[in-house]
Amino acid sequence: MTTPVLEIRNLHARIEEREILKGVNLVIPAGEVHAIMGRNGSGKSTLSYVLAGKEDYEVTEGEILLNGENILEMEPDERAAAGLFLAFQYPIEIPGVATMTFLKAAINAQRKARGEAELSTPDFMRAVKEAGAQLQIDSDMLKRPLNVGFSGGEKKRAEILQMALLKPSLAVLDETDSGLDIDALQVVSKGVNALRDGQRSMLVITHYQRLLNHIVPDVVHVFSDGRIVESGDKDLALQLEAKGYAGFDGEAA
Amino acid sequence: MSVLTPVRLGPAEQTLIAQLQSAGAAAQAERLSGSGLPTRRVESYHYTDLKQLLRSVPPLAGAAPGASAPALEIAGAYRLMIANGRVQDAGTAPAGVIVGRSEGSVLTMRDDVLVRLNAALAGESLSLTLEGSVDPVIQIDRRSEGEAAHSAGSVRIFVADGASATIVETYSGSDAAHVSNHASYISLGKGARLSHIAVDLSSGQATHFATHEYQLAEDAKLHTLAIHAGASLARTQIFARFAGEGSHADFSGLNLVKDGQHLDITLDVNHAVPNTTSQERFKQIARGRSRAVFQGRLVVARHAQKTDAKMMMQGLMLSDEAEILSKPELEIYADDVVCGHGSTCGQIDETSLFYLMSRGIPRAEAETMLVRAFLEELVDPIEDAELNEALTAVIDGWLLGR
Amino acid sequence: MSALDIPTLKENIDLETVEKVRALDVDKYKYGFETTIESDRAPKGLSEDTVRFISAKKGEPEWMLEWRLDAFRRWLTLDEPTWARVHYPQIDFQDMYYYAAPKSTSGPKSLDEVDPELLATYEKLGIPLREQEILAGVEGASANVAVDAVFDSVSVVTTFREELAKVGIIFCSISEAVREYPDLVRQYLGSVVPVSDNFYATLNSAVFTDGSFVYIPKGVRCPMELSTYFRINERNTGQFERTLIIAEEGSYVSYLEGCTAPMRDENQLHAAVVELVALDDAEIKYSTVQNWYPGDKDGKGGIYNFVTKRGDCRGHNSKISWTQVETGSAITWKYPSCILRGDNSRGEFYSIAISNGHQQVDSGTKMIHLGKNTSSRIIAKGIAAGFSDNTYRGQVSAHAKAKNARNFTQCDSLLIGDTCGAHTVPYIESRNASAHFEHEATTSKISDDQMFYCMQRGLSEEEAVALIVNGFVRDVLQQLPMEFMVETQKLISISLEGSVG
Repeated sequence: MTTPVLEIRNLHARIEEREILKGVNLVIPAGEVHAIMGRNGSGKSTLSYVLAGKEDYEVTEGEILLNGENILEMEPDERAAAGLFLAFQYPIEIPGVATMTFLKAAINAQRKARGEAELSTPDFMRAVKEAGAQLQIDSDMLKRPLNVGFSGGEKKRAEILQMALLKPSLAVLDETDSGLDIDALQVVSKGVNALRDGQRSMLVITHYQRLLNHIVPDVVHVFSDGRIVESGDKDLALQLEAKGYAGFDGEAA
Repeated sequence: MSVLTPVRLGPAEQTLIAQLQSAGAAAQAERLSGSGLPTRRVESYHYTDLKQLLRSVPPLAGAAPGASAPALEIAGAYRLMIANGRVQDAGTAPAGVIVGRSEGSVLTMRDDVLVRLNAALAGESLSLTLEGSVDPVIQIDRRSEGEAAHSAGSVRIFVADGASATIVETYSGSDAAHVSNHASYISLGKGARLSHIAVDLSSGQATHFATHEYQLAEDAKLHTLAIHAGASLARTQIFARFAGEGSHADFSGLNLVKDGQHLDITLDVNHAVPNTTSQERFKQIARGRSRAVFQGRLVVARHAQKTDAKMMMQGLMLSDEAEILSKPELEIYADDVVCGHGSTCGQIDETSLFYLMSRGIPRAEAETMLVRAFLEELVDPIEDAELNEALTAVIDGWLLGR
Repeated sequence: MSALDIPTLKENIDLETVEKVRALDVDKYKYGFETTIESDRAPKGLSEDTVRFISAKKGEPEWMLEWRLDAFRRWLTLDEPTWARVHYPQIDFQDMYYYAAPKSTSGPKSLDEVDPELLATYEKLGIPLREQEILAGVEGASANVAVDAVFDSVSVVTTFREELAKVGIIFCSISEAVREYPDLVRQYLGSVVPVSDNFYATLNSAVFTDGSFVYIPKGVRCPMELSTYFRINERNTGQFERTLIIAEEGSYVSYLEGCTAPMRDENQLHAAVVELVALDDAEIKYSTVQNWYPGDKDGKGGIYNFVTKRGDCRGHNSKISWTQVETGSAITWKYPSCILRGDNSRGEFYSIAISNGHQQVDSGTKMIHLGKNTSSRIIAKGIAAGFSDNTYRGQVSAHAKAKNARNFTQCDSLLIGDTCGAHTVPYIESRNASAHFEHEATTSKISDDQMFYCMQRGLSEEEAVALIVNGFVRDVLQQLPMEFMVETQKLISISLEGSVG
């Protein structure tokens, strides 16, 4: 059996004194798209932050294997270089850092970490232009400071642009549909689907089923109280939409 | 209740008193004997206790024995030099620049110990009159050369009505424990425009004092940037007075402070007439065991209605042993004004850092990016590309620990 | 820079406030009367003998006298501070009395024995002292406030003492506490404001006459508001009260002080010291409505209010909150502060300082962060009118060990007219990389648009100013105990009288 892209074993994590993840188990083989659905506060976003290595969270038990390698001791930048990408629910605004400068720094840092040569400026420009065209990102937007003054749709498109350029083996999309109107949702979904190549794996975290009409998952997991309580195919999302979360986790909605 | 005890004078004060006497400034010598150097009890020196910090003063400077390399090369600039307080011969001045010399110091407005010392000790001053649109950047290269010495130098700049110019003052010199006291008096005529940039690149043992006085006539526009990137002890005093309606100024400054340094920028802006505006933007970054000080006061005089003045101080702490001390003051005597200040202090934003690192950028590089971003708005307004590049290099040099 | 935008005041105005302003009785300083009562005074002037006289009058133990004498000797070596932005002629400390007590009262006793003249005085001030009447619901009285009434140099009565004693709370005059609870007093007195802290505090330590003492035992939530009402009555007399509040582990108390004085041509000195100690998980809320006589319209007379107030958040998770409404006094020199010593402790300072006529205010706070994860919040609203000067002076500092210290400060000044001044002098000192400080200050005036809007709705110019000012200070007013909010709103309006037109 080939090594899965992501394997999470009995993952427990807490912030300050509060335990949020209470034994998450998940395996995503290469090329598959998995969705995690759950109500607000179930710990979905915590899972994405713990995967990316945010300092505020403390892992108390379990393992996260990325392409067979335990990443828990790695810094966030090392995880990125190892192939993990998190599309943030709320992308961070960084005044004073031009988007282009940032993109170039990120691409070359990852290449350097992997022992690859830096991308030349013309090659970089070409790559950005190509990826940007698909996501309807023009050069004006790229000249602005990173995420500063971007609309909700622009921020999410910029996240997918970064994903396209950084070519991760695992992309975690945290509530990528939040704050998007239907047109923007289509642009973003199209961008994401274009990156499905049979090798790259994705973990799509969402509250609503509607995103999954656009990014159709191979497997759907229901998340409740810090763990996965049910898994199934894409129809599970429809059932969830019809019955509500209470039908799965037994809690009143 | 207590009987006033006479001030105990330290070696630095004793030397200064002797130097004042030798310069024929008996009254100033007597005054200094009576008061000593200012301590933290003097409000304007609250965070820079000169009595404590200035341990010794070297002998008065003689003529400079020769010059070290310029600390900041600005391509295409017209360069003038003052070495050890003495005005050096300059090359042919570009169109609109009239270079002259006059006796003594030029500062006028303040009852301040550094101003008084400069007034008593500066032998001659460089005077510049600027007319029309002066094209090249004018660099005033102020040096402290040779063995450790105490020097006082003085510059007077008059920007004629409607004229415009960019002036950069740089401070540097030999690697010795100099004490340098620089004065600049700058007057802007009606509708004049000036960008005045002062960069301290003194050696690590040096003590650097600079006082910039600005006077703005009607509709004058001033932009200033003061950067501290050298010296072990430095204090730049910025005293500005809006004397004509419709005038505007953007004051900015940057304290780049590292281990063992104490750098102070003290600003006092007086809106003396109605309908003037100003914006003050100051930043401080401190690492190692160091101290960064910013004091800024906005004064709006009685009847100076419609003043609009906003001051911002932002501090960035890069070490637990550093101190960032700030005192932004408002002193308002007119009611129809919009005035405010803000001050923040903290470390690099963790969320931004995480975001950058999650994209694969290593911590050190991500931090540098964020620090550069923090400083961006200070250097950004400088239009001259060569100058902008030179200043960016100064900042990068500090960031990379050079 | 949106952070510096001047907030509009209009949004803070609500209907309720409009009604209250309409209902205002706009009289002058209404506490300016004098009570004729025979009194017992120390000889004029200040010497060791004066200190001994006061100590003897109070029947104090030897240690207390020694403490006072030590303070007096240190005071002789100190200089009067000059850093504040206040100006006044040199005070002749030998030309005043340091002790004055109504002759009929030799100390707190039962209400029946209190001079009826005194009771009448407090009734006139709106301070009910008869518990039965309070409980019977006398108009304007509140059933859940216990009062310590201090008249010149002595406490004349403390109400609800037995009620409070049932839950172990001690609420009495400081003089009584020195005699009855010497161990507690010795342990805590001077532990927050050291004897020689500053010129006025040291003077107070030598000659303090009375004040309140509060002790809240472990785990007790004080069932009622505690309050002290200070009244200066005698001529040429300084008032030097001393208050000490100790909140044991897990306890809570809300305390309020009020102050008034007769109208006189001479200046009188009031130099108080207040010390608060909050142990683990304890909370103290201290509110002041200061309405000492401010002097007349030409700046003649009025109280010099030179006060040292400091709270020590000594325990983990402790909290001290200062709320002050400063409308009176010719000169105010006052910086209620918090020492955030315990980890996770919190300090708050909410202030309204109004100056009119020739008043001078130099007031603010200090938030000294020593412990980990300590936080503080400062909201200061200064309003200057007439020929007054109104300065906010505040210090926020984080010690090297104060990991994750947090401060937020907002100082807003409002100028009414162009003959006054409003000033802001913050000292912001970070000595810790993980400390995070934010400070904002604005200065503005009441906009013509706001005035026009209110007057178009039928308010007079004076009412409109009062309304807008009450909106401006609303964030702070809301911090006051309910019982005092409406009273305070009226007071604010009255103190701004004559500021327009």
